[in-house]
Amino acid sequence: MSLSVALFYAFAAFTVISAAGVAFSRNIVYSAFALLGTLFGVAALYVFLGADFVAGAQFLIYIGGVLVLILFAVMLTHRIADGAVSNRAAGGPAALVAVGLVAAVLGRALFKARWPVVDVLADGPTTHAIGDGFLGRYVLPFELASFVLLAVLVGAIVVSRKELRS
Amino acid sequence: MEQLLLPAIDWLAVLPVGLTSILGLVLLALGLFVDDDETLGWITLIGLAVTAVATACLAGQKSITFNGTFALDAYALFFDLLFLVAGIVVVLMSMTYLEGTGIPSGDYYGLLAFAIAGMIVMASATDLIVVFLGLEIMSISVYVLAGAWRTQLRSNEAAMKYFLLGAFATGFLLYGIALVYGATGAFRLDRIATAVGDTPNRTMLIAGVAMLIIAFGFKVAAVPFHMWTPDVYEGAPTTVTALMAVAVKAAGFAAFVRVFLHGFGGLHADWSMLLWVIAALTMTVGNVLALAQRNVKRMLAYSSIAHAGYILVALVASGAAGGTAALFYLLVYSFMTLGAFGVVAALGSVGEPNETLDDYAGIGFRRPLLGVTMTIFMLSLTGIPPLAGFAGKFYVFTAAIREGYYVLAVIGVLNSAISSAYYVRVLIAMYLTPGAEEHGRVARQPYLLTSIVVSAVMTVVVGVFPALWMQLARFGFLSL
Repeated sequence: MSLSVALFYAFAAFTVISAAGVAFSRNIVYSAFALLGTLFGVAALYVFLGADFVAGAQFLIYIGGVLVLILFAVMLTHRIADGAVSNRAAGGPAALVAVGLVAAVLGRALFKARWPVVDVLADGPTTHAIGDGFLGRYVLPFELASFVLLAVLVGAIVVSRKELRS
Repeated sequence: MEQLLLPAIDWLAVLPVGLTSILGLVLLALGLFVDDDETLGWITLIGLAVTAVATACLAGQKSITFNGTFALDAYALFFDLLFLVAGIVVVLMSMTYLEGTGIPSGDYYGLLAFAIAGMIVMASATDLIVVFLGLEIMSISVYVLAGAWRTQLRSNEAAMKYFLLGAFATGFLLYGIALVYGATGAFRLDRIATAVGDTPNRTMLIAGVAMLIIAFGFKVAAVPFHMWTPDVYEGAPTTVTALMAVAVKAAGFAAFVRVFLHGFGGLHADWSMLLWVIAALTMTVGNVLALAQRNVKRMLAYSSIAHAGYILVALVASGAAGGTAALFYLLVYSFMTLGAFGVVAALGSVGEPNETLDDYAGIGFRRPLLGVTMTIFMLSLTGIPPLAGFAGKFYVFTAAIREGYYVLAVIGVLNSAISSAYYVRVLIAMYLTPGAEEHGRVARQPYLLTSIVVSAVMTVVVGVFPALWMQLARFGFLSL
């Protein structure tokens, strides 16, 4: 097993374990910090895929932006860590069966799949191709994505602003 | 220095969505300066009407642009016009309804235009990523609209519920798209269609298709993904409920039909079994639970679930007959549902929703116009000839029988019979129950009444002359 393969599995395990931490921690502050590990691990996996720009964007946006915002929200919310959960999870056994079934189907799909294998990933920056793609072949999804963000911005302001006209 | 090449853009293909989104931006900006709600309403009306005329002028065009991801065809135009007309009716309703609610109308109409732009993208998208983006533009705008009446607790609750469950459904959509991509290596529907036949990753593909059924099932409020519907429809401002019940549902079906009949057409044998069960459940659960409702708005929410079931029957039947019937049914359903919610809006006022059956007592004599139109809508929703609802059900069940789905057709007809019980109960309340004496003067509602009358006229016209509208639906479906 070469070093890069070992590293890949290390990062994959790190990602999954932190994700489990996010899901299972009873304390939302711990969950928020565990999310750091998940997002970092995913960024590392992007590096293994040769997606340098996506990995960089993942760092800047998800770790630098989204996660910091989540931490702020968690810390500024009064007594959020007290953990009085108003809606307890119900139907545990049924949920377990459902999750088991979905996991079985997805597991079967994964292990039976014939993945297309690429021998060597092209080394080098991907930004040029991404930029060309955004303003060329994929100009419509690119513009629509900015439209989605605009709708989110407007919606967030409409929902959260204080004054209502009388 | 490399030459920067501008991409070739087919402006005609994006004309409807472009005009609608520009309208949304203009309204947001105008909302800052214009204080008069009525003026903003008129601007929205004119904008949507101009877009509708421009869209109608595109009839006969057929092209697939933006690298095969966006279609300009009769199918997209059929739905674009449906969304725009539904939007116009909803704006008419809102011009009366917003008075006194304190909802800032610039934001409200702006987000309404954004939502319609998203729907138009969904109807035209021939690529799963573009479907997703359109769905998000629409959904985010509608989440906010559902909570637009911020001083009303139930409006807040509706927005929160819709947002949380909607975000969950979006997760399913993305997971489904990822699995389909993993199995076929394509986002584009035409490439998926050629790849589904001989993919070695069949399990993954079917899992992806099942996830997409969940996501679309949520948007069109099919059982068992309907849990949010009654609460959200009841809590949202009635005009937004009308938009959700009609346009959002139609947009969900527009993408549903295109993705499943075009992209996954080769898998019909697999997904039709799943949808068979969902269709039967949706019709039955919707109708049976509607029987138990005393609140008319909530009853109409369950009725809209049941009607999604009828459209799913058409989708299961598939083929030219089923696809055409689905489009026609959506057209029919839109007008009668818009009108019914319009009447609900007309009977309520700020602080007094007046939504229970008791509030409807004697309305038929106190407000004759509302009584007559509500009678038309209820009978049409039941499926009484010669109203539009009958023609819609007739084509749906005929398509099901033609394709050999006898049991499903029988379940549908039985459900129609059940539904008559709760629709007629509204009529009984309006005409046969003695109502309280008139308390106070009835407010003038010129715009709202116009929207109700337009819906009633359309319900009758489509019912009496179904052939012309059926021809439009066939034209639309066959262009897929």
